[in-house]
Amino acid sequence: MLAAMAGHPRTAGAVTVVDPNPLNWLWITYHTVEELVRVTKQGKVRPAAMRRYRWIDDRTLQVRLRRDERFADGEPVTADSVKRAFDEQVRWVSPHPPGTHLNIDRRTRCSVSGPHTVRFHLPEPDGLVLGKLRATHVMSSRFWRDLGFGYARDESGEGHW
Amino acid sequence: MIDAPGPWGTGPFVLAEGYSSLDTEQAVVTHDPFSCTWLQRQDRTPRLTLRANPTYWDKLRGPRLREVVFRNDLSAQEALELVCTTEGEVDIVTEVPATAAAKVQHGEHARLVAVNPVRALAGVINRDAEGLPLHDRRARQALNLAVDRAGLVRDVFGGHARPLAGLTPPTPLTAPHRAPDRLKPYPYDPPAARQLWRQAVNGPPRALRLATMADFEATAGRVADDLRTSLGLDVEVIVLRGDEQVQARRQLAEKLEPQTWDVLLLEQGSQAADTPPLELHRAFVGLTGEFRAGPVLAEFERLYADLVAQTAQAKQVIACNRIDRYVTQEALALFVCAPQVLYAVNRHVDFKPYATSFELVDTSVTPRHWSRR
Repeated sequence: MLAAMAGHPRTAGAVTVVDPNPLNWLWITYHTVEELVRVTKQGKVRPAAMRRYRWIDDRTLQVRLRRDERFADGEPVTADSVKRAFDEQVRWVSPHPPGTHLNIDRRTRCSVSGPHTVRFHLPEPDGLVLGKLRATHVMSSRFWRDLGFGYARDESGEGHW
Repeated sequence: MIDAPGPWGTGPFVLAEGYSSLDTEQAVVTHDPFSCTWLQRQDRTPRLTLRANPTYWDKLRGPRLREVVFRNDLSAQEALELVCTTEGEVDIVTEVPATAAAKVQHGEHARLVAVNPVRALAGVINRDAEGLPLHDRRARQALNLAVDRAGLVRDVFGGHARPLAGLTPPTPLTAPHRAPDRLKPYPYDPPAARQLWRQAVNGPPRALRLATMADFEATAGRVADDLRTSLGLDVEVIVLRGDEQVQARRQLAEKLEPQTWDVLLLEQGSQAADTPPLELHRAFVGLTGEFRAGPVLAEFERLYADLVAQTAQAKQVIACNRIDRYVTQEALALFVCAPQVLYAVNRHVDFKPYATSFELVDTSVTPRHWSRR
């Protein structure tokens, strides 16, 4: 991996960090994992693991992914990856350490409408859902099989996303 | 959170060594609808290593570093000393206290980087407090009029903070949330504060108990002085340390027992500037608020439901504005300030701070940095 990176003109050097922030667990997650959205330097939500989104109506959010994106282990990122992430998340009553306010309504359904397109069907309008997608981490099949969010450690995903 | 190294995601780095996790305990806020928060204790390995992910899709962003090592075996004080006086030991220290800013600025190898985050330092007002009229808007407004925010920012934060108007911190992206007629901080007006306080108080009041998380002890001391001077009130300062903080958070979230304080100073951030009420106003005031200390307010719930119903960004901004204005007018918190986040950074590191997180994807080092010589 390091040999492959050596050819990248912008990847060079190393830094050592001391971070007393109690949210360090989240910063490490954000460095290694993507969500459908990220937040810019100024604090604005914008697409990340998705290419774009569109509200079909006030209860249906359509998300299109980029083609040819891959997890670090080489597995392609597809609509099924997003659906798996969402379905894993709604298995739990309160998966996110900050609390249930980051939950997407558990009655929401995620459907695959193409190899790189998913739709979220919400039971009622939730304009905050885009920001909440920052807490829906899109993970490889290997992750779900070998580790999961707290699955291997605590046999539960509650409070561990 | 990621409990073990592995090529798990599509982020700019891969977790190559160690982990940064949490032990969590649930604190239930409401049963119907069910809402809760999690009390957290950190569980980190002494060292954690990230390596650049060569397949990361957004080459314009990065990663621009081959490796990032988090050292969890150093105290913040030790780290600050090392970043200022050495090279090759520590390159970035986060969350530098304002009291240490001058040390960094004069450090041989470090420089100070500041960012205006979406974070608010505010006091939860216990509207259920017995013996004080904090259920009365006039008393809460009096508390806000009694605090000299400009003096606090100058003397306690060395200028590295901004006075808070409402709970939406002032950043370039939150400016529209606070317009039109942008909210201004409560003025420092001791006579008006005293007058309102006297109108609200019935009989001789007891001392006000001002509790604070330990990081804000100096702030609490200054606020207490202002309250004593402006309102002629006895103020007892309670500093919560270690597990006391976890217990206080549990008691506040669960609301099963009376709080042992009247005002609790704490800092809360938002993960994005688009809709700050999700993590700020809701937390302090809302039905599901983990920091709410007092009855649920129907008007707040109505305003918050209106925000949730909006999917258009422009309408969300208007809804956020209405919420912040309501919370401010009702003085539903003691609005203190929005501290900057300060970083001590090695002079050869081109660090790009984020307003709501800590990310290194677009940070780089110069050819003169120790790792590239």
